[in-house]
Amino acid sequence: MTPDFRTSAPSKMESETETRQQAFLQNIANRLGRAVLQEKPLHPDKGAPRFWQEYRLDQQARIELFCDNWQKAGGIVHHFPHEREARQFLVQSVLDSGARKILRQDQPELAEWKLEESLREGQKLVCWQAMERTQALAEAAEAKIGIVVADYAVACTGSVVVASSAQKGRSVSLLPPTLFVIVPLDRLKTRLGEVLTVFENRARSFYPAGIHIISGPSRSADIENDLTIGVHGPGKVYALLFG
Amino acid sequence: MKDSVRERAQAALQDDYLRNAVKFTTERLRSGKQSAAAELGHWEEWRERGRAIRLHTIAHLDYYLAQFADNARQQGAHVHFAFTKEEAVAITLEIARRNKARSVVKSKSMVSEELHMNEALAEAGIETVETDLGEYIIQLANEPPSHIIIPAIHKNKEQIAEVLSREAGKQLPAETSVLAQFARQKLRQKFLQADIGMTGCNFAIAESGSIVLFENEGNARMVSTLPRTQITLMGMERIIPTWADLEVMATLLPRSATGQKLTVYLSGITGPKRTEDSDGPEELHIIIIDNGRSLQLGDPDFQELLNCIRCGACLNVCPVYRQIGGHSYGSTYSGPIGAVLTPALVKNAAEWNDIAYASSLCGACYEACPVKIPLHDMLVYLRHRTVTKGRPDLQEKLGMKGFRYLMSDYRRLRKALRLGRVGQKLLSRNGVIKAKLGPLKGWHRYRHTQLAAEQAFRDNWPVLKQELNRSLAQADPRIEERLQAWVAKRERGNEYDA
Repeated sequence: MTPDFRTSAPSKMESETETRQQAFLQNIANRLGRAVLQEKPLHPDKGAPRFWQEYRLDQQARIELFCDNWQKAGGIVHHFPHEREARQFLVQSVLDSGARKILRQDQPELAEWKLEESLREGQKLVCWQAMERTQALAEAAEAKIGIVVADYAVACTGSVVVASSAQKGRSVSLLPPTLFVIVPLDRLKTRLGEVLTVFENRARSFYPAGIHIISGPSRSADIENDLTIGVHGPGKVYALLFG
Repeated sequence: MKDSVRERAQAALQDDYLRNAVKFTTERLRSGKQSAAAELGHWEEWRERGRAIRLHTIAHLDYYLAQFADNARQQGAHVHFAFTKEEAVAITLEIARRNKARSVVKSKSMVSEELHMNEALAEAGIETVETDLGEYIIQLANEPPSHIIIPAIHKNKEQIAEVLSREAGKQLPAETSVLAQFARQKLRQKFLQADIGMTGCNFAIAESGSIVLFENEGNARMVSTLPRTQITLMGMERIIPTWADLEVMATLLPRSATGQKLTVYLSGITGPKRTEDSDGPEELHIIIIDNGRSLQLGDPDFQELLNCIRCGACLNVCPVYRQIGGHSYGSTYSGPIGAVLTPALVKNAAEWNDIAYASSLCGACYEACPVKIPLHDMLVYLRHRTVTKGRPDLQEKLGMKGFRYLMSDYRRLRKALRLGRVGQKLLSRNGVIKAKLGPLKGWHRYRHTQLAAEQAFRDNWPVLKQELNRSLAQADPRIEERLQAWVAKRERGNEYDA
């Protein structure tokens, strides 16, 4: 993956940026009463307290905790012993929903499920792939259901983690009002930190542009403290664990 | 807006809806935080770690900002630095001009309130739409936010329905689900049509050049996914060194703000979209803003202000905020943090002097703060500075002088007290003083003063001392009796016949 550089010809703003940055950092150093730091400082208190870094739950406990948290946040969760049962549940849900357009990520795990074979007439499954931007967004805006496979899940916070790429659009887990997140159990971790440090150690060129950690349906309590579900993002979110 | 905190608070105290809403909301958030902290356990250890990370980052701020800027640029982002709000606004307008932008969708950003960004964009003829539900409502009502987490805390359903009906061009019922549905549909179009998405920044990660957003609605994700250009406004102190440190912030921030284990969405955005990606911004600009923040650096009394993670926990526990609400503070930031931050951010602190006095100095804000900022101490420092700089309040000056004169000689004090015991009879009504005269006015508006006792403790002391000396091991039955009588009296409460 290479970053996308669309810089227009350098102008006053760009040329000013560098001098301004230097002055900015110099001012900070002056205020702190020293020269601008060049050496990386030692950071002995990095990350979570030690007791927490060592905290791990066994798989059964992770499943239970994840399910509990996901439900408390207002999501729907099912744990299936096998992949085929998860698929069956998903297919049935999609059939029952009557949704005309369904959008899925272009993930090999999902391709293997061959969902399109089980859909009813009039239902269209669109696969997110390298599309022209406007078309991609139009497809996502029309879809009633989004289907993604999580990169990771976190038991302690009841979260799923989805990272973007050409095959994995950010819109798929965002625009459709219903979202299905499939979680193979070997991706379910105990703590959030286990997932975050994956990105910490990742080489710069392999950084996804968007890393999204999702913990339930979109919500707001901005009107008189009344809880509203699905205010911008999906209001119905399913986590389907299998394994 | 009225010109002093006293007058603004006066107006707020007349508004029964506001007072109840603020009380209800702050209580909900506060108890949510308490149970979330208790459920997590080791809360003090987490706070201590949060504080350590923030202290470390601010002490090495120049290094981490440079590292952040380098890494973000390597990922393809444009990083700008702005000393003042004018510079930040000018950079934003320049980006908008280059992109021929006509509309901006925004997710919640306190910094943009600080910069008065919406007004600046409007002047340039660019439509700006707030997309957080609460912010959208108060934008349409043309009001500033009154709580850092729940900005429209002060508006009831009927008022919100009225505001949204105007926008809808038809009457909407005062039902939360209908109102939210209207906002969803309306804002969805705006997201899809906007030229620029503008976000704030909860944290920026130096080691990867990523910005991190916490939110519950999904609007910040929309803003950073759909428009072609993204502008992120970042206070220069928002930085943390690593992703590992984010775990600590993600543990502290949502719990302290709303009692959630994590907000519904936590997004890490690293550079613009990759070439092959079909969504996400093609251009990402990050504007790092000072706007008075560096004034606190190197100031031993106030540097810790930069540790703030903007959770609002101090508002929810503050006995003053809970009565007067956010607008009384008269600036972008309200509550205890606002009372300190507002004067700290401006060079001309004098005009904000009065809000440092809108506090009881009880220290509840410090207890609640997830990164242990000693706000109550800072409020005292602010008051101290006001006084040493020569506060022009003649009455207070005279009062203090008089107090010093009286207290520096015990004979003088005794005489004055005797005089007072005689003099108070002139003001006494039904055994208390309620006169709203001169310096007594402020106090007696809502309270009364008990009369000084017939016999002062000082005058009674020789007798009391003898009684004490006589027996300590076993109380004298007469003293015992008197104490019992006192206790009985106290149980009936301190009633008086008004």
